[in-house]
Amino acid sequence: MNLLLNWLDHRTGYRTLMHEALNEPIPGGAKWKYVWGSTLTFVFAVQVITGFFLWSAYSPSTLTAWESVYYIQNVMSYGWLVRGIHHFAAQAMMILLGLHFMQVIIAGAYRAPREVNFWLGLVLMQIVLGLSLTGYLLPWDQKGYYATKVATNIVGVTPMIGPQLQQIAQGGTSYGHHTLTRFFALHAGILPALLVGFLALHIFVFRRHGITVSKSDESKPVGTFWPDQVLMDAVACLGVLATILFFTVWKGAELTGPADSSEAYSAARPEWYFLFLFRFLKIEEVDKLGLAFGALYVPGAIMGVIALMPFIGHWKLGHRFNIAFAFALLAGASFLTAIALKEDAADKNYQAAVKAAEFEGHRAAELAKEFGIPPTGALSLLKEDARIQGPKLFARHCASCHRYNGHNGLEQVRMKEVEENGHKTKVEEPATAADIGEFGSREWIKNVLTNYPSTFEPLKHAGEKGEKFLDGEMAGWVKENAETLKKPENADSLKSLAEFLVAQGGRKEMQPLDPALVAAGKEIFKTGKLASGSFTTNCSDCHALVPADGSESLGDGAGPGYPTLTRYASHQWLTEFVKNPAHDSFYGSDRNLMPAFESKLNDKELKQLIDWMVGDYFQSK
Amino acid sequence: MEPSSSLPTEKTTPRRSFLAAAGSIVIGGLITLTPLISGVAFFLDPLLRRRPPFKGGDAEGFLAVTNLSDLPDDGTPLRFVLRADKVDAWNEFKDQSIGTVYLRKMPGNQIVAFNDTCPHLGCKVDYQEASKTFLCPCHASAFQLDGKPMNKIPPRSLDTLASKTDPDGKVWIKYQDFQCGVEKKEAVQ
Repeated sequence: MNLLLNWLDHRTGYRTLMHEALNEPIPGGAKWKYVWGSTLTFVFAVQVITGFFLWSAYSPSTLTAWESVYYIQNVMSYGWLVRGIHHFAAQAMMILLGLHFMQVIIAGAYRAPREVNFWLGLVLMQIVLGLSLTGYLLPWDQKGYYATKVATNIVGVTPMIGPQLQQIAQGGTSYGHHTLTRFFALHAGILPALLVGFLALHIFVFRRHGITVSKSDESKPVGTFWPDQVLMDAVACLGVLATILFFTVWKGAELTGPADSSEAYSAARPEWYFLFLFRFLKIEEVDKLGLAFGALYVPGAIMGVIALMPFIGHWKLGHRFNIAFAFALLAGASFLTAIALKEDAADKNYQAAVKAAEFEGHRAAELAKEFGIPPTGALSLLKEDARIQGPKLFARHCASCHRYNGHNGLEQVRMKEVEENGHKTKVEEPATAADIGEFGSREWIKNVLTNYPSTFEPLKHAGEKGEKFLDGEMAGWVKENAETLKKPENADSLKSLAEFLVAQGGRKEMQPLDPALVAAGKEIFKTGKLASGSFTTNCSDCHALVPADGSESLGDGAGPGYPTLTRYASHQWLTEFVKNPAHDSFYGSDRNLMPAFESKLNDKELKQLIDWMVGDYFQSK
Repeated sequence: MEPSSSLPTEKTTPRRSFLAAAGSIVIGGLITLTPLISGVAFFLDPLLRRRPPFKGGDAEGFLAVTNLSDLPDDGTPLRFVLRADKVDAWNEFKDQSIGTVYLRKMPGNQIVAFNDTCPHLGCKVDYQEASKTFLCPCHASAFQLDGKPMNKIPPRSLDTLASKTDPDGKVWIKYQDFQCGVEKKEAVQ
């Protein structure tokens, strides 16, 4: 062994190299505050390792990027672990970068003779920011897509050459395959190569002048890098890695739904470490000065001041200024980040949008697992999915009047601007039609029969016709019969009637049915006889109904404008109703207030809306 | 620079330094190996997970190919394409060709099915009408009508596939690929 090592040393001189590398003198000995540079190098190494393996499974194109990342994350062995480490290590790098920077400023390590190395460090910082920006787009999910669009649009406002720069970055006038291939080439190719090069220079120049120690340590005995400082560095790296692993296991790297340029993404935010910039650009005064001012000139000026720090720091006062400037930056960024987080936490619609984006990612993965991804990409799975499209259609077409369990289908609240005492405020927009989240369920039917005014209460905001509806025959019937129906002796009768009507819809989500109750309900519908007392008018006197079990018709009803209850609340009934509620077999043109959607929704949209309303879509076990 | 972990220091170290060195090496190894081992395990995914190459067929995985009546009675092999939903990593492609087979109808309506992949190195063999042999265009492997090799090039006979005929006269094949270049017929999975 020794012989072999001697031979190797003779040929390579590795011992001198090692000696050189490890016996770097550290006046005053090893210190915890010196670990940040090493932790950064370590995390970069982790990124190179995990990055290579992710590369082996990633496919950069708009039809395969999300898909391959989904596959890495959800299907491949340990994919969640490798991607999780890569994802959270990238964020750890940002924090460590900040710590390293602050340490350098506080210790005055940027001053002569270390100016050049300080500038090399700033170059490294830009490269790391570039890596994080390019990496964020690669999963091609809604979150990365819209966050990165902001970045490339900022590039676009660069004076003179903005549009050209933007097109070069995007590989065209809009996002597409070449945006991904370019970002990937930057992320996995040139940027890491540059980082390695500049890091080597950074460490080389660092060694030339040695570590910056405080005055009091200069007189103390000199320690060496190996082994005390190495141990501290290793322990710090272990702490960083443990944190990364903790987040990987606890949270996991997220993947929202596949990028969709046709779908607004109301949860769009940059990654948390750029949140301060996002909030800064939203300040009204900054916004007024234009995007280039806030997004280019101000950050550029700040970077300029930082780059000049070695000169400013020549004087004692200058050094103090630099420290104050760095802390002010940190405080400002923290403050803006805190405001942004606070505002978002208070914004219910933003929270709903985040939830919806997470759900879309989850849903796309669920569908991909069940059906495989078609060659047209995972986005087409979502486009064909009633569970995703139904609520969107509801929000777009129905929520201006209706509510769905209190929200607009997407768990957002519709707001409108009103003027109050001279200034505008946003208030919740009142509904003008029933909340149909529970439409066609047992609860819905019971509520209509016993609590008509509260079920249709929003109609009082719907003008004259709405008032008429609330004063109509059915309302009158409920007024006469609700008390009877609510009697404890009639609890089973009410249940039976509801069960019978639910049975007419034949909806999957309402199964299983109780046949005894259905049969009893049918009798009540026909005869109006309850366990205690009877209805003033029979259901069948007004409503036509041919039972779903194929038995004889229970009556033809009272004619146009008395809704037919044959297959009530079924997919078909709802489809016909939504197409034209003014049809004689529904409300009739005299009483109806709802617009006909026959011409507003195409067949596919109508089907997706109704599929969603009746729960007819793939549901994982 | 991160130091290499196995380092002989030149000067003799006191006990405290030795502990620090040992600690550095252990922790340094641990933190480097964690991402590395995770990555290697991820890279070995093809060995850690079974992936069916296609979806479709009946409960036993047989695919319908042709009708018994469409096969010549004299036992001349005919080539058929098998279609199923091809699974490629995350993608599923509906109704694709997933492989080709030669079918022969033997006396008593017995079916002999060959995977037409040469067991030598995986090119497709072609049936030669004139010589009534299967010939591989790549390395001249040759097989008799019954699939037995006619020269020393292929390591084994053509690979036969399980088949069945249903009451309607439809021929079903269980399609499989086999490891090339070895004497033993082993399904790739």
